[in-house]
Amino acid sequence: MPTSSTNELSSKGVSQKQALFEAIKQKDFASFPIFDRSIECMPRKQLRELQLKKLQDQVAYTYQNVAYYRDLMDKSGVSPADIKTLDDVRKLPFTDKTALRDTYPYGLFAVNIDEIIEIHASSGTTGKPIVVGYTREDMQVWSDCIARLVQMAGVVPGDIAQMAFGYGMFTGGFGLHYGLQKLGCAMIPAGSGNTERHINMINDYGTTVLIATPSYAMHICEVGEKMGFDWEKSSLRIGLFGGEPCPPALKAEIESRMHIVCTDNYGLTEVMGPGVSGECLANRFQQHIAEDHFLWEVVDPQTGEPVSEGEEGELVLTPLDKRGIPVLRYRTHDLTRVTCEECECGRTHARMDKVRSRCDDMLIIRGTNVFPSQIEDVLAGIEEVTPHYHIIVETVNGMDSLTVETEVRPDKMTDSFEKMDAMRRRIAEKLKGTLLVGVNVRLVEPGGIERTMGKAKHIDDLRNA
Amino acid sequence: MTVSQISVFAQSKPGHLARVLNVFEAAGANVRGFAVSDTGEFGITRFILDRPDIACDALKREGFAYIETQVLCLKLEDRPGELARVISLLAERNENVLYSYSMISTYIILATDNIEETKEILKDAGLRIITQADIEKANAIHAGNED
Repeated sequence: MPTSSTNELSSKGVSQKQALFEAIKQKDFASFPIFDRSIECMPRKQLRELQLKKLQDQVAYTYQNVAYYRDLMDKSGVSPADIKTLDDVRKLPFTDKTALRDTYPYGLFAVNIDEIIEIHASSGTTGKPIVVGYTREDMQVWSDCIARLVQMAGVVPGDIAQMAFGYGMFTGGFGLHYGLQKLGCAMIPAGSGNTERHINMINDYGTTVLIATPSYAMHICEVGEKMGFDWEKSSLRIGLFGGEPCPPALKAEIESRMHIVCTDNYGLTEVMGPGVSGECLANRFQQHIAEDHFLWEVVDPQTGEPVSEGEEGELVLTPLDKRGIPVLRYRTHDLTRVTCEECECGRTHARMDKVRSRCDDMLIIRGTNVFPSQIEDVLAGIEEVTPHYHIIVETVNGMDSLTVETEVRPDKMTDSFEKMDAMRRRIAEKLKGTLLVGVNVRLVEPGGIERTMGKAKHIDDLRNA
Repeated sequence: MTVSQISVFAQSKPGHLARVLNVFEAAGANVRGFAVSDTGEFGITRFILDRPDIACDALKREGFAYIETQVLCLKLEDRPGELARVISLLAERNENVLYSYSMISTYIILATDNIEETKEILKDAGLRIITQADIEKANAIHAGNED
């Protein structure tokens, strides 16, 4: 008889959840299923050979079908036949976001529009949107990449997955949707917004997996708490996060308050969407890159030259089998480090450190470089405040002024203004010690920093505004 | 012999105090006294309520930062010099008063950025505004000098 009642689903969900927590605690990673063992656990030598073969084919395909790249390669005197080793990828030109923008909408497409079965676009907050098209083959690769990474995160066939990303043109919604279906999950296409309805659906439908931005997941958690919803007794077991970087402290907070296991995955519209890399449960600060589909490089963002192995630099990606829009050496502007060491989960694909900073979200304050991730790390070490923050940069009397807003934790309130102000000054001192520039700290009430359904906006740079 | 005071983290922005008060109202707790000060970007708003237990539950549920502490509440004689006498009593014994406020919550003092404008808003809403003369007169009554 099919399982159908809410009670049955809920108790099944809770025991599944306890089993997952226990397996993680016991580090029993070998027992976790792997979606495509032959690829994901392929010996590295064999994987490199596969990559080279695919790279050669992909460069030839691109040269033949995209005038933009053919011209660029001809001008720099490089032909597809010059790709003899994986390192030869460096002979190819870089691609920046501007190339996709300048050729809006279909200039970089390698196929006729009748071969495209889906079109997505990036938000276009800075200029024209970027339009990407997928062939049937591309869609298969994409859902394959997602199916792998959700399985890596503990999702299994039969899970009930509730989508709290917006669908629309954003690649996150449909990308995760197709991949989760491919694995064998029941998709609930709830979309973003209407938080109380999300919580009621989790309760009534026995949802086991929630897909959201981390800041929206936090909001769902808080609203649920206010509604008196008991997360511990809920069937919800896994949070799949994306759309924005997930600060470790925020993840830890969501995991403990919602009683779920959360992972986040990485990707970008220009090379595919989500699915480029994902976190396994053995290494919670890194993500396995789908190396059979993406060739990675880490370069110095200034010179474009490769950094030494294991050093931090800008991630550059070349999709190895994209048919709709092949992109060569895409500059992500994301800073990371990559390691090829073996992982306890059994997968052989390289791991990148989670992206905490982008080359372009670095702020220059009175001549000093400041990354929002540094501020995140300092705040994570202060028990009186939550992981939520907002940065405001202004010009005051001709000088850069940096203000950090942070939320007081509800249970850290005191009845003494003096003590509260001393705490504020202590946070400012700690920030100054790390950032090496003076910072104004503004304490705000719990929940006072906006939780977004889309990408969290951590910075307001009002200089020259 | 103490009373419960609820201190709520306050942000200096329109609507914050109203939200706290709405929570109290929805919970059915009645404010008997309160103090709001102008400490800057953030501060502490202190409340005395008839039902601090249900008020705290409601604040907790709504996620406010607050703390419940015990304070003293005195009933003074309404005559000139009484406040000075009590405060001096403490001063003589070297007791430092951290803060103090009056609790007759049906007569409240308000300071805003634009007193004239605020006055008009309140007047239009039909509220009774007390004048200096009213206060003087009230003193006169209690001093027995009424004509």
